[in-house]
Amino acid sequence: MLTPLVVDFPFEWNYIRSIIYVSLYVSLTAVALSTLFSLPIALFVGFKDFRGKTLVTSIINTGMGFPSVVVGLVVLFAVSNQGPLGSFDLVFTTEAMIMSQFVLAAPVITGVSLAAVSSVEQNVRDAAYAMGGTKLDVAFVTIKEARYGIATAVLAGFGRAISEVGSVLIVGGNIASSDGTSVTRTITTAIQLEARQGRFETAMLLGAVLVVLVLLVNAIVVRLGSDDGGYR
Amino acid sequence: MTLEAIDVRHAYGDETVFDGVSLSVDPGEVVAIIGPSGVGKSTLLRLLALFDAPDGGEITYDDTPIWQLSEKRRLEYRRRVGMVFQEASLFDASVRRNAEYGLRVRQSWTDRLRHEVADLVGKSNGTGQALEALETVGLREQATQDAASLSGGEAQRVAFARALAYDPEVLLLDEPTSDLDPRNTAMIEDAVMEARDRDIGIVIATHDMHQAERIADRVGVLLGNEIIELGATERVFDDPNDERTRKFIDGELIY
Repeated sequence: MLTPLVVDFPFEWNYIRSIIYVSLYVSLTAVALSTLFSLPIALFVGFKDFRGKTLVTSIINTGMGFPSVVVGLVVLFAVSNQGPLGSFDLVFTTEAMIMSQFVLAAPVITGVSLAAVSSVEQNVRDAAYAMGGTKLDVAFVTIKEARYGIATAVLAGFGRAISEVGSVLIVGGNIASSDGTSVTRTITTAIQLEARQGRFETAMLLGAVLVVLVLLVNAIVVRLGSDDGGYR
Repeated sequence: MTLEAIDVRHAYGDETVFDGVSLSVDPGEVVAIIGPSGVGKSTLLRLLALFDAPDGGEITYDDTPIWQLSEKRRLEYRRRVGMVFQEASLFDASVRRNAEYGLRVRQSWTDRLRHEVADLVGKSNGTGQALEALETVGLREQATQDAASLSGGEAQRVAFARALAYDPEVLLLDEPTSDLDPRNTAMIEDAVMEARDRDIGIVIATHDMHQAERIADRVGVLLGNEIIELGATERVFDDPNDERTRKFIDGELIY
């Protein structure tokens, strides 16, 4: 008797693919927005002396370890009918998920970037100014000098966003459409659901995808950390 | 361009660094500020470079009181001045990119973007002026090297080239050779002389009196909150008006 050449895996590939797509779309968008938001704050807090600087730094550090379910709860309230963003109809949408991941990733990116830009020596910044640089030029030089640290910050933010389950479950609702593709279902929320329903193969496959993604991100972080080159 | 500090006072908090300090530098002239460490030579240079506004008195560029101008106008004046610090303070990039920095910030954003892209894809050959400046300090061959791979002396020569590349009219040098060996010191001093011959006005802060004697046309002695003596180098060294100057030069003054 001939054995079949193609082993029939019990996976709905469209389903899996759409989950990965939603996860990446939500997390990458949230991280991109967080980066745009966090970098100016890191530069400001790093180099300006102002009243309450210690308080701001503490808030950033606290935010780095903020429980994601609480973030989810707050964002859900904000977008619910009674909340300030209620009129935008954002409950159980990817937009709401992006908002909650933004709140989770921003403190991580700000905190790690702050450490990176603070380590740029003042005399290098002075040199940029003395060569005729404007404040903006000095900021760019600082970002360039801290580029590896900032890249690490962005990747750490992505790591936090892609692997968190609490807030996206609350604000996204873990919804799949009737044609069997993900609407607001991410890798993490799908794993939780599939495992609970006893479909361990699917849960394990999604788990493997998530682990590979996180490993990849960490590998890049380690690679960047050991890179000593600037550009020629 | 003539740079001038008129009756300048500056303090950090309650501590007065100096008071009533006046100094000027004309094109093609080297003025040395000598004085012991911690007396405020760097602070004076930073005021001349417009890092901070003085607490009293006036800084003028070509007789224009610079702090009364708008930030935009002040930037135009600021860009006619170059500065070298005690530490090389190079950017984490190649020697060439360091030397080009001053030229880049003077370009339009579109040109800068174009250069960034050309650099990223390895199509940039470098700017002539930056390479010439590197030639002046004997480092043109090292243009493609990583700045971090240079020795201390080479790094400081690149810092000098970086300040020279955009053709400044005035150079402010803050103890540029205090960490260098005699050979690198001589190369920097040669470059200073070459800059003076190109009609650049130079103010150099140094605690090396022999260096001041070698390269300066005029010398100002900064001691105890004020410039106690300012005059032609030979006169100050051979026949100082102030007894403290003589003691400082002879190494007798304990401060």
